[in-house]
Amino acid sequence: MIIADPKPFGQVKGYVESFEKILIVGCGTCTTVCLAGGEAEAQILASGLRIAFGKDGGSKTILEDCVQRQCDEEFILPILSRVENEKIDAVVTLACGVGLNFLADRLGKVPIFPGLNTTFYGAAVGLGHWAEMCAGCGECITALTGGICPVARCSKHLLNGPCGGSEKGKCEVDPVNVDCVWQLIYDRLKKLGKLEDLQNLLPAKDWRTASDGGVRRTIREHIYSPK
Amino acid sequence: MDKKSPQISAEDVLATCSAACPVHTDTREYVQRLSRGDYEGALDILLEVNPFPSVCGRICHHPCESECRRKAIDSAVSLRMLKRFLVENTKEYRIARRKKPAESRAGSVAVIGSGPGGLTAALDLALLGYRVTVYEKDSRLGGMLAHAIPRYRLPVEALAEDIEDILAAGVEVRTNCEVGRDISLDELQKENNAILIAIGLSESHSLPIPGVESQGVFLGTTFLWDIANGMNPELGDRTLVVGGGNVAIDIARAAKRLGPSKVYMACLEKREEMPAWEWEIDEAEQEGIEILNSWGPKSILEENGKVTGIEFKSCVSVFDDQRRFSPSYDESVTTSVEVDSVIIAIGQKADLGFLAKTPVVAERGRLICNRTSMTTSERGVFACGEVMTGPGSAIQAIATGHDAAKVISHFLETGETLELPQRAVTTIGELPAATAALAKRFERVEVSLTDPAERIKDFSPIEPGYSEAEALAESRRCLACATGAVLKSAAHCAGCLTCVRICPFGVARVEKTAVMPAQQCQTCGLCAAECPAAGIALSRFATNGMKDTLGAILSKSDASKIARPFVVSYCCLNETTSRKFLMEQTEEEIRQSGILRVMIPCVSRLSTLDLLSPFELGADKVCVIACSENGCFYPGAEELLAKRVNRARKFLDQIGVGQNNLQLFKTEGSAEEYWPRIWEEFRSASEKTVDRSELAQ
Repeated sequence: MIIADPKPFGQVKGYVESFEKILIVGCGTCTTVCLAGGEAEAQILASGLRIAFGKDGGSKTILEDCVQRQCDEEFILPILSRVENEKIDAVVTLACGVGLNFLADRLGKVPIFPGLNTTFYGAAVGLGHWAEMCAGCGECITALTGGICPVARCSKHLLNGPCGGSEKGKCEVDPVNVDCVWQLIYDRLKKLGKLEDLQNLLPAKDWRTASDGGVRRTIREHIYSPK
Repeated sequence: MDKKSPQISAEDVLATCSAACPVHTDTREYVQRLSRGDYEGALDILLEVNPFPSVCGRICHHPCESECRRKAIDSAVSLRMLKRFLVENTKEYRIARRKKPAESRAGSVAVIGSGPGGLTAALDLALLGYRVTVYEKDSRLGGMLAHAIPRYRLPVEALAEDIEDILAAGVEVRTNCEVGRDISLDELQKENNAILIAIGLSESHSLPIPGVESQGVFLGTTFLWDIANGMNPELGDRTLVVGGGNVAIDIARAAKRLGPSKVYMACLEKREEMPAWEWEIDEAEQEGIEILNSWGPKSILEENGKVTGIEFKSCVSVFDDQRRFSPSYDESVTTSVEVDSVIIAIGQKADLGFLAKTPVVAERGRLICNRTSMTTSERGVFACGEVMTGPGSAIQAIATGHDAAKVISHFLETGETLELPQRAVTTIGELPAATAALAKRFERVEVSLTDPAERIKDFSPIEPGYSEAEALAESRRCLACATGAVLKSAAHCAGCLTCVRICPFGVARVEKTAVMPAQQCQTCGLCAAECPAAGIALSRFATNGMKDTLGAILSKSDASKIARPFVVSYCCLNETTSRKFLMEQTEEEIRQSGILRVMIPCVSRLSTLDLLSPFELGADKVCVIACSENGCFYPGAEELLAKRVNRARKFLDQIGVGQNNLQLFKTEGSAEEYWPRIWEEFRSASEKTVDRSELAQ
């Protein structure tokens, strides 16, 4: 799941203060689940903007909406209609960067602003607590590391660890909150009876799958139909 | 539970309390109204189905309590006492709300007998517009309620309240008019289109044993009738009551109040088999009544025609394999008790003498009638109450009175018999043990009965009613079953698991989308407050509409005229001990005080948006007044609320409103005394946190 955090309120307010009719759009999937950008957060941000602009003596109209996913055409069509029909001046999205871009591509002359900072691909490790689990590097190597990813979860992205900053299972970057992933990999391989795998050095990673060749695209041939 | 879906709406099923009540009183609703201070609205709910709430508030055997789901946590909500509180505190309103029939219809009905069944039917029929006359052989209305229930349990005034209310609907009565003596059934048939026999079981069975004709032997109902009519029977110093039912208990306790130094009860049943209610037995024993179990009367001993004692034989078993009454004895084991008086209370029968030489058939002392159509052998003659059902409770008789009115009305309109449908009641089911184990215990508010040594001195009522504070506290123990969280729609739910993770009772789960089974949900509202999709609604006190609610109030009050600073105060309703802050504020009061109170059954259900909305609507400050420390019904709710308020405070700082304009307070001591201090301090504090120590001064 994609994790995101709310932007500071003042920053969002700054984006839209020159507009009169503003639509806040929540996203009903990842950012709802990580409690950053669902319908409730859209209502809270809209309320905050109404209070703030009201305090400043303005007369802006702040509206809110939420769709199931902002990264699919069918789900955002109602938003596009609304923007056009209600003559919206600016949109603030509480989707991740994906939804933001997808919506921006389709909004024509209407500006769109991010309400969130998209941070990582993560999982809920506790109530109200998410941690990064994957870096989307394009070539998964976890078959060699007991299913635990050093690319995403090592502070240095080391393929052959640990480094000297590992102490009592924690990473020197944040010894309180951050586990040393190479300790986790070691413990896991030990449980699996595969400690000898650590004898094999991982070769340098081919990073072309992560960033090379421009914007990454995926096509499922069995269903793909060029427009 | 017979539904496959785990999500049950409140409309689908009855709460167990309502299902258990013979008239299906909407118990949950009247208790919730009471808890919100709407005593009048609560009385309306009671009177919808029960014209005898004053009587039932005193003497109902309260099957609602027996089935209360709170028993799985600690003990049942004291529903009978809450009912009593309501009727005692809405007397003027009850008179003002009296109804008259909307229209009059052709048709007249004679009701024979003025007990709870007959009067209920009479009221229903009168309100439908028929002319109804009740014939009562006695001088007073009420049947067994007036003549057989001792005054220490049911004061005359309580019965009078109910009866006056019924008569106000236009029911005519003819007291001292015994059908068969003062007027014949034939005459009634000629004068009316329908007749309802509601004569109850007014005569005691006697015992076919030697000595029963001796001086000093009394029949139970006659004994009670005499006491009720101020003609106290002369008892000797030692009295024994034969019987183990509720009437026998009433008789024994009444006898004790007439002065004998020793009162015994003797019955066939073992202690645990006695048909009397357990609490009645306990109270009788507290009053010094000695119960002799497993004895069957063999003969009444006498000398010169006066009772000197009673001899018993051992009763080995009371029921046969099919649980039918079939006592068997060991004649070789006997005992005798020296007494001066014996009162026989082994059951009642109907006085059906007036039916002799009429077409209405009675066989072996029983009226022949059909329970589903309530008809007798004679067309146009119906029956209800104990004469039809056999021995039962007042509330059961009331239920049959309603049914009788339905079938009679149908008969008057169509000339045909109505077979009442057999109602299958679906209930929400018991509270699952796993949920109950996670709920906090709040002990039932009990009242102390008068000391036994005092109460046996006379027939004064022995049970005090609830004070207002007690009634409000007890009403809040109601779990408000099946009024909890409901997912608005599947499309709203992202399956984020937040509800699952924060539910204090382990109730919420995600089955593709969130599910909060109504049988388990404790209605705390925490899931609704935290749902990131704003997708959970509460069927009781939905905060989802808080902004609209506030907006509606403020649009009436004209926000610009409200004294500044204008504070919206969200208050925990459960802390109030009077109606002072529960009554709706007038517009003038809001304008002058600068305070808008919003009473909420647990403020922990307020969402972050609810905390911000008042500022949007023009409030300068918002205070959230929670319960006392650790006083919340819902485990963990106080902590979650504190975190939510902190979040909103930080957000208000970012907005530029200032975090100190939103504060969370705990109630200390009486809400009525403490809250005004909070409001005063909070309104006068400029941009600073109000300290608890300041409030204590």
